[in-house]
Order: sequence, then C-alpha cells, then structure tokens
Amino acid sequence: MNSEKTVLVAMSGGVDSAVALLKVIDMGYNAIGVTMKLWEYKQVGGNVMKDTNCCAIESINNAKLVCERLGVPHYTIDFTNDFKEKVIDNFVDEYLAGRTPNPCVRCNSYVKWDTFIEQADKLGADYIATGHYAIIENKENNYEIKRGLDSHKDQSYVLWGIPKETLSRTILPLGNLTKKEVRKIARENNFENADTPESMEICFIPDNNYKRFIREYTKDEVQNINNKKGRTLNEEGAEIGSNDGYINYTVGQRKGIGLSNPEPLYVKKINSENNSITVSDKKSLFSKECSVSNINWLDNQLKFPLNVFAQIRYNGAMSKVSLSNNNDKLLAEFDEPQLAITPGQSIVFYNDNERLLGGGIIEINE
Amino acid sequence: MIKKNLYFDIAATTPLNLEVTNHMNEINQTIFGNPSSIHQIGQKAHNIIERARKKIANLLHCKESEIYFTSGGSESNNIALRGVLNKGDHLITSSYEHPAILEVAKYLEKNEIEVSYVNPDEDGIIKPEAINKAIKQNTKLISIMFANNELGSTNPIEEIGQLCADKNIYLHSDAVQCIGKKNIKLSESTINILSIGAHKFYGPKGIGAIYIQNGTIINPLIIGGGQEKGISPGTENPSLISGMATALEIAMNNLEKNNLQIEKMEKLFISLLDETDIKYSINGNKRLRGFINITFFDYDGYSLLLNLDMNNIAISYGSACSSGSAKASNALLVTGMKEKIAKNTVRISIGNFIEEDDIKQLVNTLNKIITK
Repeated sequence: MNSEKTVLVAMSGGVDSAVALLKVIDMGYNAIGVTMKLWEYKQVGGNVMKDTNCCAIESINNAKLVCERLGVPHYTIDFTNDFKEKVIDNFVDEYLAGRTPNPCVRCNSYVKWDTFIEQADKLGADYIATGHYAIIENKENNYEIKRGLDSHKDQSYVLWGIPKETLSRTILPLGNLTKKEVRKIARENNFENADTPESMEICFIPDNNYKRFIREYTKDEVQNINNKKGRTLNEEGAEIGSNDGYINYTVGQRKGIGLSNPEPLYVKKINSENNSITVSDKKSLFSKECSVSNINWLDNQLKFPLNVFAQIRYNGAMSKVSLSNNNDKLLAEFDEPQLAITPGQSIVFYNDNERLLGGGIIEINE
Repeated sequence: MIKKNLYFDIAATTPLNLEVTNHMNEINQTIFGNPSSIHQIGQKAHNIIERARKKIANLLHCKESEIYFTSGGSESNNIALRGVLNKGDHLITSSYEHPAILEVAKYLEKNEIEVSYVNPDEDGIIKPEAINKAIKQNTKLISIMFANNELGSTNPIEEIGQLCADKNIYLHSDAVQCIGKKNIKLSESTINILSIGAHKFYGPKGIGAIYIQNGTIINPLIIGGGQEKGISPGTENPSLISGMATALEIAMNNLEKNNLQIEKMEKLFISLLDETDIKYSINGNKRLRGFINITFFDYDGYSLLLNLDMNNIAISYGSACSSGSAKASNALLVTGMKEKIAKNTVRISIGNFIEEDDIKQLVNTLNKIITK
C-alpha cells in the first residue's frame, strides 16, 4: 500500500536514524537515505580526530554503510550555507549577548524541516522521516506531536519550532520505541553503528569547547572580551571579584565562579554590555515568570489566557504555567518558582496529555 | 563491463578492462617475489616491471629511463612540483588545475615559493599569451594540465612549451585525463615532466607514472630503498604496473576506433537532446571526445545527478569529491561562468563501452526529469 510512496530519511550516521530507515522500509515505503552536511571541519576547527559526531566523515560513512546494507541509495546534501547563516551565526551572537542558545532547536526550526521537505520535492519524495524520539498523530487530518514513549529519550522539546504544515509529511518511526529497543534492533541487523556512543555535544563543536569555538569564529570581536577579565558583582551591584569573561558562563552555573563564600554562589545574570556576571545564592535564582519570543504554535485552536504545562530545559521537569498575551507579548507565569530560567533557552508547552502545543525562546523582563 | 547501471562518468574513473583484469590475476597468482631480490623468484617480478616500462615508453614515444612508476596522478603531481621547486622559485600554474596541483601550490606558497595562477578563458583554455605575461626572472616551473578534468578542454601545451624552451623553465603537464585518449609523442614534445594515472584508461587504481625527461633535476619526496631510482621508493607491485602497461597498450591500439565510436555517441546525444524541449548549452572548447560539460538552464545540477542516480544513471557534478560538497565548481567559476549557471551544470562523460541504446535511455531519462 505504501510501496508507491517514497520517503527521504534524514541519516545523521547514528544508530537512531539507521533504525528509523529500517522502520520506514518495514512500513513498505521506498526509502532514500540523506545525510545533511551542516558544517565542515575547516569552518569550525577543533580536534578532527573524533568520530562520534554527525557530519564527521566517519558518521557519513556509517550512514552510507547502513543504507547499502538495506539496499537504498544514500546521498550527502550540502546545507552548510543555510546552517551557518541560521544556526552557527545565531549561536555566536546569542553567546556574545550573554544568552544561552539552543542550536538544535534552531536547526530543526529553520534549517532541517523546511530544507528537507524542499529536498524531498526535488527528489520526488512524498514524505520525510527522522530518528527523533517523538510521536506524530493524525487526528482527522490535524497532525499533532506527542512525547516519545521513552521518557529518558523524548525529543519533543527540540521540535517545538518546526513548521506545523510540515507535520503531515513527516514520519517519526522511533516514537513508540525505547533507546534500548533501538539499539537491540540495530544489533540484530548488524548495523555498523549499533554501538556508537551517544553524542551529547553540539554537533559543530566536536571538542565541546565553546570558548575555543567562539574565539576562533569571531576573531576580532571576541579578542577584547577574552583578553579582559570580567567583573563579578553581587545582587546589589557591588564588585566582589573577577572572572574569565562573561562568555564563559551560563545562568545557573556554580562551577568556575572563583569566589569563596559560606553559601555556594551561582550565576544569576550575565551582563554582556559591561562584561560582568551577577552572582547570588541559590534561593534568589528562583523566579516565577518570563516572557516568550519567537513563538511557534502547533495547535491553532488555543485561547488565552491558557493554563498548560511548560518545560524550560532539555530533560527538565514539567511545571504548571499560565500563559497570557500582554501588549503583543506572551507572558508565562509559573505556579511554582523555577530555578534559573535562562534567557535564550526554549520554553516548551504541553497539555495534560503530553501533547506538544508549541514553544518559544525565554526572555527575562527587567 | 558495467551495464546494469548506465555509467557516464569515465572522467572520474573507468572500469577495469577485462583483458587487464585477467592479466593482473595471472600475475597475482604466479608472481610474488620482491623485484629487488637477487634470486630467480625476485627476478621474475623485476622483469615484469621492466617489460612494462619499455612498453609504456614505446607507447608514449620516450625513453624507458624517463618513466618512473608512482601510486597515481596525485603522487606524480606532487613529485613534479615539490621535487622541482625550492625557496625563492616562481611557479606558474592555472586556477583550474586538479587539487593535486592547486593544493600543492598553496602549500608551496606557505614555504616561500612564489605562485602565479593564470585563469582560463571562457572556453576553458589557457592562452599562451597569459602564461607569457606571468613569466618572471625566477620562474622555474610552469605546470598546466593537458586537458581540464571538468570541461575536457585541451590546452595548447606545445605553444606554452615554446615559451619555456629558451628560458631554462621546466614545463610540467598533468595529463591524467588525456593519456590513452590522445596520441602523445614525448620525444618531440617540449614537455619535461608529465603525470599519468592508470585508472582513467581502463587500468587499475592505485598506480600511475611520471615521465621525467632525462636531465631534469628532481628531488624525491619519499626516502627509502631506492626503487624507481629513488623518485618513488617502496616495493613495487608488478601486477598493478603491468596492468597499467597492458591497459595503455589496449587503449593506444584501439585509439582511433574508440574515438570514432565515442564521437558517434556524442553526436547522437546532442541530436536526441535537440529533439526535446530541454534548454542546454555545452561548455568548453577543443574538448576531449566524450567529455560533455553541460548546463541545463532549468535544473539544479546536484539534484539532477541524484535523480539520474535513482534511475541508475551515473553522471557527475563538479569533479568527484568525497566530502559531499555541492558548491559550484571552481573550474567553471574561473572561466567567468556565473555561479547560478555553474550550479546548473553537470559533466557527462562517455566511455568506449557506451552504445546507442544507452544514449537513448540517458536522453529519455533526462527529458523525464527535466521537463516533468
């Protein structure tokens, strides 16, 4: 029944997308494996002797081996220009502005889905598929995303920004599987990448060294920041120490502040304009509200004010939140105070049935 | 040979000739000695190599003492540039050479060697006048490819050589795309150094040669046991070397026949294409037969490659590249082609095994994809 339809499967080279491909074939579709080349080593620097990242040559090679094993063609398609413009540049700008970006969300929202659908059209494919752990359900031609069955692996958090109209053409074959099952399937099928380790880093910073990356990427701009010590302030604004420069910190960070204090100190605020960080005890990191920018809704029927659940970090817990529109701004008020609400990170909304409603970027009101 | 998949990419590599395959199998099964060994088992291996050298020298009209075996075109190109040039020397090359020249030139620049890059004209040809203008007091080497690997356009090498002759400048040519497709008489040529790779003339991969005219001074890049007079040391592979010589012999013995057949197929391709509504233009002048660098104005080249591949037809976009990059081809851009046009351009290269039905299938499939 599906044999007339073709699916473009996004292959990072990891075990998840390999099993996603197998599942697509099992559903009876024709499949084409595609690795999106998002960045190149000469662009991002770092240690090239490492092979667990997507877009590394070894990962692309693994994707090719799995595709050949399953008898489907594999192509590498160059998205480096798009990725640089929409993800890497934004990542660097956000860090320089003292915020904590989430490039995976940006990539899904602005690069992956749109360009992949476009590619599917160019290759005459009907659908796209990825190895994300989340579920797409078709409710009378209204497509919804739900959390993946494996609560440890659920990736719906990074999918809030994908264009709603692409859902009807997207297949997520791993939503009802656990990571353990996926590995088992990969081993049973002798996939070359069945046991490759999970990559936890940001794909274009393979050595996980943000400082090195930002320094190399924006040579002139950051020279200043890196050469100068930053100031460390208390909540009253008094200088109580110095630090390595604001780009080395994120909100909520405890390590590396370099001050001794009876109570442990945390980064409460990053002030890019004067290269300082504000530190406080843990208690004062809690707050009850933020506003939300760059909103994308996956449900068009929502009415405000709205009481839903929100998640403010990857793998974070859900908290009750009330959403209201205030002067064209979306305001989120939590029932319980939240630890370290971090500007630049995603706030993602779910209903009580674990359905993904949408999300946006956290902004802190002064 | 390859039939199931229609292969229109012989500029990237050719399938191994069946006769060559059998010849190499036989050597692999019977000859195992180290060519440097004194005993008879070693002598057998040694003699196979020396027979191959004589054969290649005969086919290219040079002395056997001028042929050195290497691992392929890239090594030969490296020897030619890095073996000749020293600090303070000046190199003239073109901006559309193979990376095994261009990247070496960039590397040399970091090592205090001056490099001038001459652009081809819009037909993909390097003009001798442009070379002449670039010559300086310290010019030591001019390296210009015989034919460009993407356009197939052939350069006036002998005219360029005339410029070198009385100036004590060496002329090197990367002839990897030409060998086996053109008659080259090295004894009558102004070329001093020439790079050869076997896998472009239905020979094995991993083997090539460099012609170094007697009297040319070249320093080796690799130091070892002195094989190939120290130019490319390391235990030689008799089956690869003899396979290359056999492949070249077959190619040269059938040169006219093959070129006629390929020309016929090329004409058929163009006449069939003209019967469709496809808008195209063919780039490059004085092209090697069977090299068709073609712009399809209404279709992105990389997507065309993938769509053809899904129909089991192999062509190429730019030159073969392992990293999956889909950037517009540098060779086209330096001829002055606009980036958008370059992105709509692919290379179709026709081998001696292509028949009428293959061309018909290619044009039908192109038509289906482009005008759907």
